[in-house]
Amino acid sequence: MTIPLIVLIPFLGAALVAWAGHHGRLRSAFAAAGTTLGALLLLIPSIGEVMQGATLLWQFDWLAAAGLTLSFRLDGLGLLFSLMILVIGLLVILYARYYLSPNDPMGRFYAYLLLFQGSMLGVVLSENIIQLVIFWELTSISSFMLISYWHHRDDAREGARMALAITGAGGLAMLAGFILLGEIAGSYELSVILQSGDTILNHPWYVPTLVLILLGVFTKSAQFPFHFWLPHAMAAPTPVSAYLHSATMVKAGVFLLARLFPALSGSFEWTLLVGGAGLLTLLLGAYTALFKHDLKGLLAYSTISHLGLITLLFGIGTPLAAVAGVFHIMNHATFKASLFMAAGIIDHEAGSRDMRKLNGLWKYMPYTAVLAMVAAAAMAGVPLLNGFLSKEMFFAKTVNISTEGMIPWLPMFATLAGAFAVAYSLRFIHDVFFNGEPIDLPKTPHEPPRWMKVPVEVLVVICLAVGIAPAWTFGPLLATAAAATLQTDLPEYSLSIWHGVNPALIMSMVALAAGGLIYALRRPLFRWHDLTIGRIDARTFYQWLEQALFRGAEWLNDVLQRATLQRMVLVLVLASGTLAFFGLWGFGPLGGEVQLTPLDPISLLAGVILCIAALGTVLLHRQRLLALLLLSVVGLIVALSFVKFSAPDLALTQLSVEVVTIVLLLLALYFLPARTPVESSAGRRGRDLLVATAAGLGASALTWAVLTRPYESIAGFFLENSVPGGGGTNVVNVILVDFRGFDTLGEITVLAIAAIGIFALLEGLRLTAPETDSSGRRWSWDLHPVVMASFSRLLLPLALLVAIFVLLRGHNLPGGGFIAGLITAIALITQYLANGIAWTGSRMSARLNPMIGIGLLIATATGLASWVFGYPFLTSTFTYLHWPLVGKFEVASAMLFDLGVYLVVVGVTLVILLQLGHLHDVNRPHSTAGSPEEDA
Amino acid sequence: MMSHLVIMPLLLPLLTGILLLLLRGSATELQRLINLAATLGLVAVALLLLIQTGEGQVEVYRLGNWSAPFGIVLAADRLAAVMVLVTGLLATGVLLHGRRVGSYFHVLFQMQLFGLNGAFLTGDLFNLFVFFEVLLIASYGLLLLGGGRNRTRAGLHYVVLNLVGSTLFLFAVGSLYGVLGTLNMADMAVRLAELPESDLGVVRTAGLLLFAVFALKAALAPLHLWLPGAYGYTSAPVAAMFAIMTKVGAYSILRVYSLLFGPDSGPAAGLLDPWLIPLALLTVAAGTLGMLACRRLSQQAAYLVVVSAGTLLTAFGLGGIDAVAAGIYYLAHTTFAAAALFLLADVISRARGEHADRLVTGPDLPRGQLLAGVFLLIAIAVSGLPPLSGFIGKWLILQSSIGNPWMPWVLAVLLITSLLGVMGLARSGSQLFFDTDGWAEAGPATRLSDLAAPLVLVLLGIVLVVYAGPLYEFSRAAATQLMQPSAYVEAVLQTAEAGRIR
Amino acid sequence: MEALIAIVIGTLTACGVYLSLRGRTFPVVLGLTLLSYAVNLFLFVMGRLTIGQPPIIRDGASYADPLPQALVLTAIVISFGMTAFVVILSLRARAEMGNDHVDGKESE
Repeated sequence: MTIPLIVLIPFLGAALVAWAGHHGRLRSAFAAAGTTLGALLLLIPSIGEVMQGATLLWQFDWLAAAGLTLSFRLDGLGLLFSLMILVIGLLVILYARYYLSPNDPMGRFYAYLLLFQGSMLGVVLSENIIQLVIFWELTSISSFMLISYWHHRDDAREGARMALAITGAGGLAMLAGFILLGEIAGSYELSVILQSGDTILNHPWYVPTLVLILLGVFTKSAQFPFHFWLPHAMAAPTPVSAYLHSATMVKAGVFLLARLFPALSGSFEWTLLVGGAGLLTLLLGAYTALFKHDLKGLLAYSTISHLGLITLLFGIGTPLAAVAGVFHIMNHATFKASLFMAAGIIDHEAGSRDMRKLNGLWKYMPYTAVLAMVAAAAMAGVPLLNGFLSKEMFFAKTVNISTEGMIPWLPMFATLAGAFAVAYSLRFIHDVFFNGEPIDLPKTPHEPPRWMKVPVEVLVVICLAVGIAPAWTFGPLLATAAAATLQTDLPEYSLSIWHGVNPALIMSMVALAAGGLIYALRRPLFRWHDLTIGRIDARTFYQWLEQALFRGAEWLNDVLQRATLQRMVLVLVLASGTLAFFGLWGFGPLGGEVQLTPLDPISLLAGVILCIAALGTVLLHRQRLLALLLLSVVGLIVALSFVKFSAPDLALTQLSVEVVTIVLLLLALYFLPARTPVESSAGRRGRDLLVATAAGLGASALTWAVLTRPYESIAGFFLENSVPGGGGTNVVNVILVDFRGFDTLGEITVLAIAAIGIFALLEGLRLTAPETDSSGRRWSWDLHPVVMASFSRLLLPLALLVAIFVLLRGHNLPGGGFIAGLITAIALITQYLANGIAWTGSRMSARLNPMIGIGLLIATATGLASWVFGYPFLTSTFTYLHWPLVGKFEVASAMLFDLGVYLVVVGVTLVILLQLGHLHDVNRPHSTAGSPEEDA
Repeated sequence: MMSHLVIMPLLLPLLTGILLLLLRGSATELQRLINLAATLGLVAVALLLLIQTGEGQVEVYRLGNWSAPFGIVLAADRLAAVMVLVTGLLATGVLLHGRRVGSYFHVLFQMQLFGLNGAFLTGDLFNLFVFFEVLLIASYGLLLLGGGRNRTRAGLHYVVLNLVGSTLFLFAVGSLYGVLGTLNMADMAVRLAELPESDLGVVRTAGLLLFAVFALKAALAPLHLWLPGAYGYTSAPVAAMFAIMTKVGAYSILRVYSLLFGPDSGPAAGLLDPWLIPLALLTVAAGTLGMLACRRLSQQAAYLVVVSAGTLLTAFGLGGIDAVAAGIYYLAHTTFAAAALFLLADVISRARGEHADRLVTGPDLPRGQLLAGVFLLIAIAVSGLPPLSGFIGKWLILQSSIGNPWMPWVLAVLLITSLLGVMGLARSGSQLFFDTDGWAEAGPATRLSDLAAPLVLVLLGIVLVVYAGPLYEFSRAAATQLMQPSAYVEAVLQTAEAGRIR
Repeated sequence: MEALIAIVIGTLTACGVYLSLRGRTFPVVLGLTLLSYAVNLFLFVMGRLTIGQPPIIRDGASYADPLPQALVLTAIVISFGMTAFVVILSLRARAEMGNDHVDGKESE
């Protein structure tokens, strides 16, 4: 249980620290240190066991069904990294407490730092590789937060975004790689994967898997060509650079190389990709470092080059090389972290990091100078320092390789890189601490506060100790870590300073000498560099890339996705047309073989008229009133066709709906321009015509295809059960209120909601009616003709009577709720047409929601009533009453339902029309025009 | 005597809606409370439904006590229960966002729920049409609340487009009835199994027309163009609620095509195979393009909805238990995450005063750190970064694509677009919170209560992560149930218990 | 007769589509109405063409398929509600955008 705790503690600590930050800066520092110490203490007990070569596992089935378990693994490699993370973390926390200025929010800084710490621990202690990805991406995110810590600085924001983009991309590629890897190995658990090296190497997916995973590795460990984000991450506060960007996070990549070494290494592709990238990065980094005038820039590129060295070692692929790689991971972490801290101290106390200004600091801060020089010497690979040992191992490996005849020129390159390392280390020492006097520094440099030096001292001491007595210091840890890396017993290797005079030693000496020479020749070199390679700047390039991406997206989006209604409707029609075409085409004959109904002249005539009217609507659609009249003709004939083909209810409904719709459109037309201007070009009209015709043909084809085929439907049931089951002879009505009453409920709900929506739409709506009609005549505001008025008032009661009759008989003869409702509505509207809104309004409240609501309620309640008898919603019942005068009279619960329908229909129709009527009243021409408010 | 539980998710909102309609004019606060109470009730009902369907039986409710295929039936299986629950939870979260968007909001909100749940539960194709109309007309009203030039234009587009869509729906249902002679989906499945070759063409056409309708609702490219405007310009709570709307389309695709055109459903099987995955991937790309292009956070959120719609349909398109299960998990995640982003965008734009949520250098925000933190959380969830639900969902989908011929495409598109998504959101975040200008005028300081709604939705996402195991198991069970529709068909087509009220 | 119906439905659809592709709200509304006529007719004839046999139970008669009729009735009423809504919306749009173009862009 302790392993997951070790990972969990920093995350909890982050919250604690953030909270403590509100109660004093130092508290947050102590909280952070305490947290880290706690994690370290938890780790210590298991050290012994692991040193014996044990692998501690802890597992919890999180998403086991999909192979994602919450499982941790503590072996030598994990131990090594956890120690690095926690120990250096502790030092960095101490250092940062003095580094951060009083106006930097400390709580936030430490919170982010601990978030990173936890994520990094998660990476190195994960047993399940998907879980590893989770922590991996978390390190990217927390690093983003840390780099952009000083978020008012552009370079900080950009550096952060760059790092996130590059490492994030790598992480995603790695995820894909791991998914494939898991599929190949049959599990996401490392203990399985590390055992199935052969299966993996021989699998057809090996190469893509490898490439995807390496993308993650290279981006994280700043390998060429993904190295350029690291120098720009230096915009982060120096403690961050020391911690993330030299000691730990950038090591995550090489950690993965070590971790998956047994599973992935040993193929030509591995050597080519890993070795190649490593070598290139090694040279490029070493070369560039020399020319950076910014202290941290120099260190950044030196880090890149050392990461390249480690990568190259793993790329070589022999067990011994791997051992050397692990060893150099340890050494680099120690001297590079101390160097960054030293650089930070200099920056802090001298106010600049520019080596062209920083000179001769020796006499201002001799103590710091000594520390820095020792560390730098280690970086250069000077004997008696840890850097020397691992670098010599590296030289030895390159020689072995070349003697085995694989890459003959490798030692040469290695020496060259070594020489440049010496050169930039020399520059670091000489330019900063000697080389004349400081040039206009913002402040006079001096030694830092006592405790700010301590972390550096600790690390430098380690460098020395390891350099002098490697076997007694890092020896055991290296052995365990290397063993865990190789997953086999270790090869022979000796950790001593003196191996006699051998090629490696000579190479080291050559490197030292050549380095001195290069540094001596630096001035001409600088000049040449600045004229050539120096001009290349990753930041401007990335800026350009980002801009290009977003601008390009804006442009492309405007071209492809501008949402004009015409385009959208066109796309919809085309899409459905295409689909329909592919549905119908090549699947049997279009027509079937039922024998057809004979065609009679009247129907033909009606059909022709209908088509003409429809086409007329299109042709005359600019004269809106005319078009509307033609449209009503179409509706009329549709209604007639319902009569013809034995659907009286439909005909009635269609007719009444027709009337209401036309009235509505007329009222609306009053507020719209009377003519439609010629909008679209001839070309577009032609295109639309084509599309429309195609759509029409499609509809015809589909109709024909269905009508000429036989089918047996469920209709029989309704005809049989209408009377015995539904208690009504008008089957359509019985279906509406009983068999499929639920549809009807939904449909009247639609009506009700439409009315509500219309209310909402008309709220605060101001429209002005035209002063004159289309042909310029003054609009007349005459009183409503008296004759019509009085006549319509006489008509009203009659109409209502009819409506009620239609409602009641609906269950057995054509009629029912809708039709009755619409008839009533029409009757009332004629009132309003004849007498004007004032007269009508005084007799009818425009707010008819109660009516609508009650209608809905009645319908729903009728449905609910059946619960009382233990039947499902909307179960109907009916009985026959004997009334004195009327005689045998049927009462069906469905009728009550129909009453609900009736009320809703009346309510809705009136609401819509009266609301519109109100507009007319309040919007006589002289009334003020409304100004549409703009929203952002 | 069957239990009325199945119909409760419909009756509860309907009755509440009616009540609220009759309460018009009374204090909005009262209405809001009623609304919230009813929504919480819905969540409770949904949980009960989830438990009852959890064992794998299909709960059938015969309206009017008429047995299928003659009457309309509601049928609740695991998936339907999940959808109802997600809707309820989303609605609760949205209602916590206490910002009045105009009168009638509460009525329309409940009516929308009525339509949504109806669409999830009905077993009858024409009834599905009716409920589509219910939820659409409600959404029209909601979308347009508050008015304004851009909103009205977007609303007009949305309405007209969907009216054409409804026409297509009727064409499809009609021709299906014209050939199969039935409307009940289970019955259709039975009749499709022994469909004569000669009728195949018509059925395929109808099926593909239906697909067009559902694709329009689900914002599947190229039918997605309406979404950014509609979601980007409407009020935040409505946009957040609409996070479930595209899912209705996706759900219908899953339901109808697993039932009618599934692997073992006669000659018309696998009708969508050539279409769904490529179009879904196209949708993901299109959405990503838009989210990179746009200059307002709410607009960006809208495009992210397009992306998620594409991702979801990719999963459904891959088919098979794993992919569909992954899709169901992702569906829940993306609904909550998108809604959270819309609501947060609203909070931010209020805090930024006149700069609103435009991605330009704005003021230092009061409580900026807090807002930035919440934004980070939601951005991580939405863009599918670890450790939040987005990552798990996306990973499950990627994993389920293994072995499918489309695998390379799915991996490439989903991963590259998520990278671009991260870059886009990173830019927005650093623009809104980092690249600020001390002189600019900030809006009123954000109250903690303003963040309640987004945080609750984030919390739901975190629950999805913590209980990923059992939840994924349930999704798998739901997917399995879908893949073997025979049980559903049998349950639906059982005849009603004899006897009617006399 | 079937052919005639097919042609009629085709014409209605074509006209509806063409009008709904126009740039001003009013023609679009007309187009949508035409489309709803087309689809209502289509849905109706899915019960095939039967003359003089209304589905009202009398003894010893055969009947037209009542189900499509019921469906169409529902469809008609729904499309009525929708049309009403879109009409009012077009008025609102005109007020908000100052003109009756579907995208609010003034071409005069």
